[in-house]
Amino acid sequence: MGFAYDFDWGVLWRQPYGIWLLQGLWLTIKIGFVAWIVAFFLGVLVGTLRVTPWRWLRFISTAYTEIFRNIPFLVQLFFWYYAGPMIFGESLGRQINQIVGLNFYVAILALGLYTASRVAEHMRAGFASISRDQYQAVLSTGMTQYQMYRYVIIPYALRIIIPPLTTEFLTIFKNSSVAMTIGVAELTFMSYRIDAETFHGLEATTGAMVIYLILGLTVVRAMGIIEARFKIPGMIGRE
Amino acid sequence: MFDAVARNITFLLGGFVVTLQLTFFALAGGIALGALVGLGRISKNKWIFQPVTLYVNFIRNMPLILVIFWFYFVMPIIAGRPLNPFLSAVISFIIFEATYFGEIFRAGYQSISKDLTSAAYSTGMTYIQTARYILIPVAFRRMLPSLITQSIVTFQDTSLAFVIGLQEFVRRTSIVDNLEVRSIQLFGFVAIIFFIFCFIASKISRHFEEKGRKLGMI
Amino acid sequence: MIEIKNVNKWFGEFQVLTDINETIERGQTVVICGPSGSGKSTLLRCINGLEPYQKGQILVDGVSLSDPKTNLYKLRENIGMVFQRFELYPHMTALQNITLAPMKVRKLSKDKARKKAMELLQRVGIPDKADSYPANLSGGQQQRVAIARSLAMEPKYMMFDEPTSALDPEMIKEVLDVMIDLAKEGMTMLCVTHEMGFAREVADEIIFMDFGKIVERGTYEGFFKNPKSERAKEFLKQIL
Repeated sequence: MGFAYDFDWGVLWRQPYGIWLLQGLWLTIKIGFVAWIVAFFLGVLVGTLRVTPWRWLRFISTAYTEIFRNIPFLVQLFFWYYAGPMIFGESLGRQINQIVGLNFYVAILALGLYTASRVAEHMRAGFASISRDQYQAVLSTGMTQYQMYRYVIIPYALRIIIPPLTTEFLTIFKNSSVAMTIGVAELTFMSYRIDAETFHGLEATTGAMVIYLILGLTVVRAMGIIEARFKIPGMIGRE
Repeated sequence: MFDAVARNITFLLGGFVVTLQLTFFALAGGIALGALVGLGRISKNKWIFQPVTLYVNFIRNMPLILVIFWFYFVMPIIAGRPLNPFLSAVISFIIFEATYFGEIFRAGYQSISKDLTSAAYSTGMTYIQTARYILIPVAFRRMLPSLITQSIVTFQDTSLAFVIGLQEFVRRTSIVDNLEVRSIQLFGFVAIIFFIFCFIASKISRHFEEKGRKLGMI
Repeated sequence: MIEIKNVNKWFGEFQVLTDINETIERGQTVVICGPSGSGKSTLLRCINGLEPYQKGQILVDGVSLSDPKTNLYKLRENIGMVFQRFELYPHMTALQNITLAPMKVRKLSKDKARKKAMELLQRVGIPDKADSYPANLSGGQQQRVAIARSLAMEPKYMMFDEPTSALDPEMIKEVLDVMIDLAKEGMTMLCVTHEMGFAREVADEIIFMDFGKIVERGTYEGFFKNPKSERAKEFLKQIL
């Protein structure tokens, strides 16, 4: 063994490294939450458009989900970060590039747009699981198309898809780690940064793993409460 | 319009070949290990079930990038010498993707009702015959769409080997972009290539799903 | 002849079969009825060696099922079984469903197996469905294919586990007709069913089970017209 390794778990609490991990966690949570808000509302919108009677709206929303699902998130992130500002032309692009914390905003936007396509896909499946008779029953009570979606179909579909949405919500925190590649100092970035300073990346990433595990378990617990709150008797069940 | 891409096409496609190689090894290992993980997840022996479940639940809470880093740090310590990033990346992909493939296999194994097995037995078929002619073909057809979808995800995931400096498709594109500063066309090019492959594969997956539905199997 | 002697079976702590005794002679048709969870299906599965039992003995033509030397696979060739949900192989056509076991277990040639399968499809009344997949058949047609699949192994005994309870009312008759013909041709049958008409026409004996025990047994007239136990009276009130 020419590579004897001296473990130094102290990097996990020795300052400033310990605080770095916590700062990273805080940023991970912020990105995840804000991106989720974008993803949820955009995803519900796009998913709903996929079942509307208007063909061109269906086409646009289908194209949206196909494009965002079939390109790696890393590539999307790089595209928005490096190429995004240039889309607005030379001078405006330069101004955008000078925004402080641009990488943070781009990370949220990219993650939100990407996750929205996944939410939309679940939404579509949710609509598909509602029977045709159900739609007709609603219309037969005299509601308009808009009222039907607004008051019955969308709330119904949303409750059906709570379990897969929980999984997506968990995934958004995990995917936020990709933002480190454009220099966003979230949790994974910080564990890597500790390695760069101390060469104790193994301890730092192990520490980060434990933090992600706690975060994940907390989210599952919280979503369990929400699921129970919105549960329709006999409708949704998690394995 | 794609002048910067054209100037560097050999370099870029070389990166794409690395991406394909990564995908190949990740899938071969991930599916093989996943089939075992799936068996472990339906095992009645708690000494098998519990460790396997722990492994699956732990990894599924981890971001892939962190797993890649972790193996990048731990492999040299285990091996006692520096390892090349390709091998380290392949190992992390296999360990990571196997948990996702494992859950697909578990669902596939569990989708077979006890009575279907009994029906085959009651015609006098042996366990091997039942597995070969009924259980495996039926489970495989049920799992095929999910297996293809997860393979697409794996293909996309390999881009994350970027972070340990592996010169796959995205890394090389980013290297070219640093020199050429033609971000729109370069990252647009990568996006289009990935899109074409993934889109076709997802159509194939949907085809099998439809076929399965027509046979009343999904 | 099937002899069931003092059979007891537990699922963990829970006793599903208690002191079951029954003899089924060749050519007889026995109908088993009783509320759900009374152990009827479990008993059928024990006779076929699909479920183990812990106490007692089951002999099929003198061969004990609990004897470790008994080749259960060989034994099952003689006992056909039809399930509530048909359990056809979904990836095979009706014809392939029927020919699989004769080809793989009996090593029949493909031509012979197909010829025989076609005869059986003719017999259950759906020769035109040979190349259809199960998903494209009605419930009644699927169940008739399932019966043909069992008959293809030329079993000495046939067991039916609620063969019509998953069917729409208009399809029940087409399956029962096949079963009645089979009974009249002399097949030895053991049927879990609540179909009274079927019982009246062909049952030599009716067994009523409750909580894992045989509570009452008799002929059609004896059981359906004059049940003795309270449980049987209650049960009959519900299904009539």
